[in-house]
Amino acid sequence: MSEARQSQQPRQEQKKKFEGPKRESIINLAQYKDTEVRVKFIGGRLVTGILKGYDELMNLVLDETVEYARDPEDETIIHKDQAKKIGLVVIRGTALLSLCSLEGAEIINT
Amino acid sequence: MSSVSEILPLEVIDKTIGQEVTILLKDYREFFGTLVGFDDYVNVVIENAVEYLEDQEIKRFQGKMLLTGNNIAMLIPGGKPASN
Repeated sequence: MSEARQSQQPRQEQKKKFEGPKRESIINLAQYKDTEVRVKFIGGRLVTGILKGYDELMNLVLDETVEYARDPEDETIIHKDQAKKIGLVVIRGTALLSLCSLEGAEIINT
Repeated sequence: MSSVSEILPLEVIDKTIGQEVTILLKDYREFFGTLVGFDDYVNVVIENAVEYLEDQEIKRFQGKMLLTGNNIAMLIPGGKPASN
């Protein structure tokens, strides 16, 4: 055990064993391309926009983006009337919380 | 067929180098300045930054500033934070 840890060779082999085939994203973002999507962020930001591009790290490019304001007291409250047009934006995949299509979506009164 | 689209996010950021950029953090904070450069983690260097908190200007910085990619949620090429 300790011998294996000391020598360089077995450690590399062990590392190799855990490397599986290159994984692909389980979300096929191509299906959302050029359609309007709603994106939520870690931290509470919320935007909608037209998905123009993305990469394998799930960084996104949105166009005609609108950001919705949050209530300073309660982040779960979203002021739909205080929307801010921010145009073309780049979204970091690391800050992504959720993404869904707006096409065919409707607001229901609860 | 490749799994990535033609408009790559990092290319968009690369094209805004030397131009003004607004960086929205995960929290309420926003930074506006001239983009000097960035890396693979999207750690970002901006120049003459202005810091906004809930659309209120709270600080101005002279010279360069490094923003950790950790806290960055969004980058807006060009745009100054709109008031409406």
